[in-house]
Amino acid sequence: MKKLIAGALLMGASTLAFAQPGCGVGAMIWKGQSGIAPHVLAATTNGTFGNQTFGMTTGTLGCQTNQSVQSMAMYMDSNIDKVARDMSRGNGENLDTLAVLLGVDEADRDSFRKVLQDNFATIFPSSDTTSGEAVDAIVALLESDQALSKYVAA
Amino acid sequence: MRTLLQFALAFVWLAPAFNASATSPSDTGNLHLHPAWLTLLHYQPDRFGDGYTGQADDEDFFLSAGGKTSPRAELQATLEAISRPGGGNGHARCRFPARDRWLRQQLDMSLQPANCPAFEQWSEELNTETVSLVFAASYLNSPSSMFGHTFLRLDPPKEDEETNLILANTISYAADAAAHDSEILFAYKGIFGGYPGITSIQPYYEKIRLYSDIEHRDLWEYQLNLNQAEVDMMLAHTWEIRERNFDYYFFDENCAYRLLALIDVARPGTDLLAEVSTHAIPSDTVRWVVDRDLVKEVTYRPSSATKVTHAIESLPSEHRTLAAAIANGYVAADAQEVKALTDEERARVLDTTYDYVRYQSEADGWPREHAAPLSHNLLRERSRIRGVDASDGPPEPAIRDDQGHDTFRASLSGGRLGDRNFTELTLRPAYHDVLDPPAGYRSGAQLQFLRLDARLYTDNDELQIEQLTGVEIRSLSPRNQFFSPLSWQVGFGGRRTDTATNRVFTPYLEGGAGGSWQLGSGTQAFAIATADLEIDDDLRRGYDAAPGADLGILHQNSRFSLLGGIKTKAWIVSSQHRQDQAYLEANWHLGRDFSLFGKFSREDHYDRYRSEWQIGLHAYF
Repeated sequence: MKKLIAGALLMGASTLAFAQPGCGVGAMIWKGQSGIAPHVLAATTNGTFGNQTFGMTTGTLGCQTNQSVQSMAMYMDSNIDKVARDMSRGNGENLDTLAVLLGVDEADRDSFRKVLQDNFATIFPSSDTTSGEAVDAIVALLESDQALSKYVAA
Repeated sequence: MRTLLQFALAFVWLAPAFNASATSPSDTGNLHLHPAWLTLLHYQPDRFGDGYTGQADDEDFFLSAGGKTSPRAELQATLEAISRPGGGNGHARCRFPARDRWLRQQLDMSLQPANCPAFEQWSEELNTETVSLVFAASYLNSPSSMFGHTFLRLDPPKEDEETNLILANTISYAADAAAHDSEILFAYKGIFGGYPGITSIQPYYEKIRLYSDIEHRDLWEYQLNLNQAEVDMMLAHTWEIRERNFDYYFFDENCAYRLLALIDVARPGTDLLAEVSTHAIPSDTVRWVVDRDLVKEVTYRPSSATKVTHAIESLPSEHRTLAAAIANGYVAADAQEVKALTDEERARVLDTTYDYVRYQSEADGWPREHAAPLSHNLLRERSRIRGVDASDGPPEPAIRDDQGHDTFRASLSGGRLGDRNFTELTLRPAYHDVLDPPAGYRSGAQLQFLRLDARLYTDNDELQIEQLTGVEIRSLSPRNQFFSPLSWQVGFGGRRTDTATNRVFTPYLEGGAGGSWQLGSGTQAFAIATADLEIDDDLRRGYDAAPGADLGILHQNSRFSLLGGIKTKAWIVSSQHRQDQAYLEANWHLGRDFSLFGKFSREDHYDRYRSEWQIGLHAYF
């Protein structure tokens, strides 16, 4: 099931410029949007402009090999603002989505949410944190947690 | 009755097939005229003549060279192709799994599954149990988005504990516009054709980002009551049209149209496309789907703008001021006055401020140098508060967008202009004005298309076109401590204008911009600077232009709507006269199908006063 979701996620986004998820610096948090289609025309003609805003730069960080972590990295890359928000609150659908992508069991969800909220400042040390750095920090945190390390094993 | 008839017809079509020998299903009788076949191939009856033409603008969609105009040739070619031995991704059975399934059922052919690795992997990954029609409502300060937008979401099985709908996939149909096309070209091709329409699959979270976060549109999710076989048929057909081109037309063959076709394929006999005449407004298509009892459950997903507005309104006023101060950088996120609050209160203030800062960064382009460090401080402080969940979001509106008044309006009224009595008939194909019943529509937003006002003056039985509105858009959005939207209006068409001796029909262009302020629940006051241009050879210099102003008050509620104010225009080119007007308009809503309306205006123009009043009935259908 986990693999299936990851696969579907990869497929859905395959048209975008994701060379290798979990292998790069990813989007910077709070980067803001660009290329919003002009409101009137976008609305009346319902067209798609080339308005995808995630330029995933190929990075220098090590690559994640775990497929679940790759899915999480990809999700974080386009939703980092909302993931950070839910993390600071200790709940929310974007946090649940991370848990789903990593395959965290219901029984471990509470401690998963708690670890991420407690370590918010470690995961996002500054306002220039990138999604790649945040993913690496999350993986490191979970690895050092006895109950949660199994979800990020390579 | 209709279904019964279709069954009967299907039986007649099938009869010859049953008689044919099982090995050679070549005699297909009139099967090529079966509604399900015509739907699967997107055939529409020709406007002139009795033939059919397929809407696909892509020869790869047809197996027969003459397939675009011949349902029979296409059916024969399909039958031959799917009967060929072998398999693999290139086989007709794998390229057209929905046609294959339907023909085999109709002709009682072997249902042995074909070996189609690519299609099988694709549908397994989509892992779909049910399908939801998602409607993106119009957004704040953009009345032209009032038509809405629709797409389909493929929902995974529910019993799965890992079900997460934001990871579900969606199917949409949209114009594939080249990014370098100018806006005018974009509008032109959108209306008259020229853009390929592409069916694309994207994860739902991408759609949420686009519609909820960037465009600030609420989403309504209508879960359809399709069964598994119907869902499978829809997916099989989606596979067939996935990379095929169907030219995109803004008015009829638009995003909503192709999705209706997919639903028709999934449940033959639904015949949603029969509802489409000249235009398919997405919000109307939702009504048709609801009317056909296709909907099991409706879920509301408020946009980030709706959420932040609700969060701000839920704060007590001193906390609201504090949130505004933090957002603007006057007070730090960890300042003493913030720390003095209880955990619960602090969480609300920090959450609201963060959501507001994010909203302003998206909508108003707040600079990152200000917004990013502030956002980081807010979240860091918030992460130190444990055990306080985010507050509940805004409640679901009592009236959904598809439950508002119907969009076609016809009105009959009587009135008096100066000393002449008249009877007026008004037809408006779309969509809503600020005096119509407001339930289900954005307040203060107005969008009218192709409105015709025809008057019969009773003194000499003279029939006159009073006004022909091409397009009229108006957006009144109140400003406050947190939001400062522009209120604006634009319109063009033809109207009667006073030349002191006569009232002549002249083309016009008008626009305006200004502000609006909330006075109370449902009431706002507005001040708009306006500009008018009229071009006609009856005007002394051939044209006239007028800067002006419009000051007024608008009240909207479910029982009645009121609009009153004063307007002034200074005609500066030809007539060089000022035109001052006081106006009052009221609609009394009788349910959602009718409104009684009355209008009164008194005007000072060419140094004389003239009154006009009018009373009548609007009917919506």
